[in-house]
Amino acid sequence: MKLELGYIDIQDIQFSEESKIANGVLYVNKDEIQKIVLGQEHIRSVEIDIARPGESVRITPVKDVIEPRVKVEGPGGIFPGVISKVGTVGSGKTHVLRGSAVVTTGQIVGFQEGIIDMAGPGADYTPFSKLNNLVLKMEPEEGLAQHEHEHALRMAGLKVATYLGELARNVQPDETQEFETYSIPEGMEKLKGLPRVAYVLMLQSQGLMHDTYVYGVDAKRSLPTIINPTEIMDGAILSGNCVSACDKNTTYHHLNNPVVMDLFDKHGKEINFVGVIITNENVYLADKERSSDWTAKLAEWLGLDGVIISQEGFGNPDTDLIMNCKKIESKNIPTVIITDEYAGRDGSSQSLADADALATAVVTGGNANELITLPKLDKVIGDVSYVERIAGGFNGNLKEDGSIVVELQAITGATNEMGFNRLSAR
Amino acid sequence: MVKEIERAGIPVVHICTVTPISLTVGANRIVPAIAIPHPLGNPALTMEEEKRIRRKLLNTALKALSTEVEDQTVFEPEE
Repeated sequence: MKLELGYIDIQDIQFSEESKIANGVLYVNKDEIQKIVLGQEHIRSVEIDIARPGESVRITPVKDVIEPRVKVEGPGGIFPGVISKVGTVGSGKTHVLRGSAVVTTGQIVGFQEGIIDMAGPGADYTPFSKLNNLVLKMEPEEGLAQHEHEHALRMAGLKVATYLGELARNVQPDETQEFETYSIPEGMEKLKGLPRVAYVLMLQSQGLMHDTYVYGVDAKRSLPTIINPTEIMDGAILSGNCVSACDKNTTYHHLNNPVVMDLFDKHGKEINFVGVIITNENVYLADKERSSDWTAKLAEWLGLDGVIISQEGFGNPDTDLIMNCKKIESKNIPTVIITDEYAGRDGSSQSLADADALATAVVTGGNANELITLPKLDKVIGDVSYVERIAGGFNGNLKEDGSIVVELQAITGATNEMGFNRLSAR
Repeated sequence: MVKEIERAGIPVVHICTVTPISLTVGANRIVPAIAIPHPLGNPALTMEEEKRIRRKLLNTALKALSTEVEDQTVFEPEE
């Protein structure tokens, strides 16, 4: 399966009479965005704002971040099974509005939503401070159930991203890149001698608004399966998550999965990137056992020489991670796991809830309990009063001078377990 | 908490869903629960059925508490 991504670099977003892309600027007609958002059932009001890199702006509580994309050639449409009809994506051509995103905020849905600072020390901890963000502050109808609230915001965000992506349909990309994976026999022949490597992508699926959707299917109701990495680039996997901000995979993360990108980088040179095994993180022990049995079976069946596993969230998913690792290792397939740590504010506690001697290669996104002080910024989009209640916040953490003390946990993407951030010990 | 209470000389049964974590952290008597969001019940069942599984879990836990163990032991719920 072969996909060409055409990147259109977005240097700025501006409000305008007409929505269009010209000379690297994304012009947006506010009324049209408003119409799309208010067309979504259960949304009462919306405020539309722009947050640019370096501006003294804090966005909170952040739900999702979505990169606008559009399919210009090949079967299927963007966000299949949710926005576009169900149909296999991942081939042909897709245009990407690189450097831009839609960020959804507004009244809190769950307690695990995040902060994006566009400037100051907090900006270093979130990759989204480097993007031009169209921010939708959406308020629900009174008395709406939490899960309906979450669904309404998710759908509105995706619809706006789809609308913006559509503007790029006939724009000449600044850069193009091709991604191709092979069928099993093709890969065996073309890349003979190269180690066969796959990626086990763990999807948050604990329920109660900790969910991920694959072609519209709720991941907790599915068994592990195989997906082409290019399908993910076309939005086959979407976040429906109100899980801790620092290590949830937003839709943006899925579209730009750095493990996928890096494996493609080595594909055909050092390794044969066979594909992606997606699995879930459910709340029944039997599900955890069954799903990890299944990833190990698929890994063996694909004849793999190595596996990279990334986790999403923390706590009981640490067990899913360790089960995947242990069972795949037991098939004599070496693994590397990517996770993050909850080692306490002083870093001296046990980092993961579960462990095993077979987990010998671990990459960490950092300690999510680490405290950080975020100074007052000039403008808040959303509502800063929730920062005491979000995961990583605590009573009295909002100071009189407008600064906030939080654990890194509260910052969107800070300890991402795909490795999508710039934090480093060096 | 399990370990601290046992350190004080009182035996503890840990009823929990993710028994591998309980084994990793060192509980001695473990009873598998239903699910993480509802360890001792199941909202999908009727009240009568729920009562039955609660009683089963509790009886298993009491049996575990009165059983001598040499090693970490998982007690599967019995009728």
